[in-house]
Amino acid sequence: MTRLRRYASELLLVVLIVLAAIASSAMSPYFLDPANLLNAAQFFVIFALMAFGLFPIVVQGEIDISLASTLAIGSVLFATLAVSGVPLVAAVALVLLGTALLGVVNGVLVGYGGLPSLAVTLGTLGAYRGLAYLLAGDAGVVGIPEEYLLFGATKVGPVPVSLLLVLAVAAMFTVLMGATSFGRYSYAIGSSPSAARMAAVPVNRVRVLAYALGGAMAGLAGIVWVSQYQSARGDNADGAILFVLTAVVLGGISIKGGSGRALGVLLATILLGTIQTGMKLANVPGTSQTLVVGALLIGAVGLPRVVSMLRQRFGAPLPSRAQGGGQA
Amino acid sequence: MSGTTAKAPLIHRLRERAGFSGGAAALRVRFIGVIVFQLLLVLVFTALAPRFFTWDNAQSILFTAAILAIAAAGQTLVVLTGNLDLSVGSIMGLSAYVVFNIASGSPDLQPFVILIAVVVGVVLGATNGFLVAVLKIPSIVATLGTLSIYRGIVSFYANATEVTSGELPRWMRTLAETSWLGLSSYVWIALVTIVVVGTMLRMLPWGRQIYAYGSNPKAAHFFGLNSTRIVIGAYVGAGVIAALVGLLLGARVGNINSLLASGIEMSVLAAVVIGGVSIWGGAGSVYGAAIGAIVLATINNGLVILQVQEFYRLLLQGLAIVAAVAVDAVVQRRIQSATKRRRTMGADA
Repeated sequence: MTRLRRYASELLLVVLIVLAAIASSAMSPYFLDPANLLNAAQFFVIFALMAFGLFPIVVQGEIDISLASTLAIGSVLFATLAVSGVPLVAAVALVLLGTALLGVVNGVLVGYGGLPSLAVTLGTLGAYRGLAYLLAGDAGVVGIPEEYLLFGATKVGPVPVSLLLVLAVAAMFTVLMGATSFGRYSYAIGSSPSAARMAAVPVNRVRVLAYALGGAMAGLAGIVWVSQYQSARGDNADGAILFVLTAVVLGGISIKGGSGRALGVLLATILLGTIQTGMKLANVPGTSQTLVVGALLIGAVGLPRVVSMLRQRFGAPLPSRAQGGGQA
Repeated sequence: MSGTTAKAPLIHRLRERAGFSGGAAALRVRFIGVIVFQLLLVLVFTALAPRFFTWDNAQSILFTAAILAIAAAGQTLVVLTGNLDLSVGSIMGLSAYVVFNIASGSPDLQPFVILIAVVVGVVLGATNGFLVAVLKIPSIVATLGTLSIYRGIVSFYANATEVTSGELPRWMRTLAETSWLGLSSYVWIALVTIVVVGTMLRMLPWGRQIYAYGSNPKAAHFFGLNSTRIVIGAYVGAGVIAALVGLLLGARVGNINSLLASGIEMSVLAAVVIGGVSIWGGAGSVYGAAIGAIVLATINNGLVILQVQEFYRLLLQGLAIVAAVAVDAVVQRRIQSATKRRRTMGADA
């Protein structure tokens, strides 16, 4: 029973996914077709990778809104390297390294500089976007050789490789945040930075590491982008951060830091993906879809608060749970 | 508690007495810093392109800055409370589209467009304020959500149609093209708005409470200030200003679609941050934000004249934000250490 309660938010997400799937298949008979599901899922791989990158940063109580710009740089860099014939492995390594460095810049400014992460990444959001345009030129990069598009149409059996990549990344982040010192430090910093500092947690170093990891994940998402779209431009993924942040918050990661699990991020991305695919099949226009995403974001954060306010005002407090035992 | 109780050095105490040290001085230096940066920009651009330093060009810079400066004045109210309003662009777009669409449908309502816009601004701003102050949703999450909700409402309402310039109220179109004393009417409207908001922040209890709450929410609470009302008030003010500036932008653009002003929140925030309004809340002014808007407009204009491409603008703007925040962090530290010093000096006496 306690185990059930511990995973309450994940269970809720599963229920919502099932409901969304039922609604979507009621709207369109094609929804539940396995080929359609796998195809539709591929579209959200990029968002999922970015969401996992943002996850440890938010757990630490910070934010990075420059990730979409980092993705753009990563995709342009990868496409350029591919066109100029750099071996695949070296190209991937260089892109991950480069985007991790962009993350390190954010991390150093936030960690060692003590600057507010929102303002810093607002600045680098613009600066990195400018850099991406600079690298890509006006026309962007096209004509990427076939062997570099490994996360595009490649499949293992019926399953696209990119989906396996997401599962592998999800597993990696589950271990990273659940079973390593980096993970434990992240939760400690998110709960209380000063307490973590007193407990001899290397706060600044862990922050920089989280931002570097976030940058590298955005770079990985950029590589997948190139595979899927077979081109790279400076304006890639502009505005994607709304979807990514929604996925993270919806996944039960407290925006104030200190709590949340990788499983939640994965489930939230699946939920958002199901809803968007359903709306697409029902011919809901794109901007109206963002209305639903925004409402979900606010609902996910606001509803628990409304419930607890109502309970405080009207209901008798439940004996054991009411006093702060609820959240993990 | 241990190291700071030692007596402050004599030189510090003297400078404190003379008003050269402490938080107020740091803030003054910060404000002057923006002006100096603006002058440097003008110098550099003039040196690179003589065409930059002409009255015509100054007019065009101020015209561009006007809309940004008004929007930044609204954003300042919210940032002063230590929060953010990312939905400003969506409020502008929603207000412009819905108000002008209603007005074009029934000409009787045309004289009342401003009133309708104020109502729209109050509703949207109060929604933001409710989410942040009552439901305690972090402002970045709440307004990121309303950014897409408000934009979604416009696109739902607009249904992929436009309000064309012919449907706008005649006097709004005329206003957009008028100039008084050689400057566009928008520049004068911006000037009046900034002075009015600045004076309200300085003179009215409402304004003082925003500063008090922003610089120390806990202390404001202990003092008996109603924090919920202050934050909602700031968001309502920001919403009304955004709704009105949406009308101005719409009248200038002419043909309004559901995407009007999308993405402007980044420029508005940049203006506010560069203008020295502290992202931690409680410090800065609408005048600073207005100068921040002029700085951004100058950068844009100068780079266009130099025929430099778009990406340098993004790069420069981004670096300016990071630099401004870094300076703010130093100022913040100065204020804190000055307050601490004064407190220990008071304890000594």
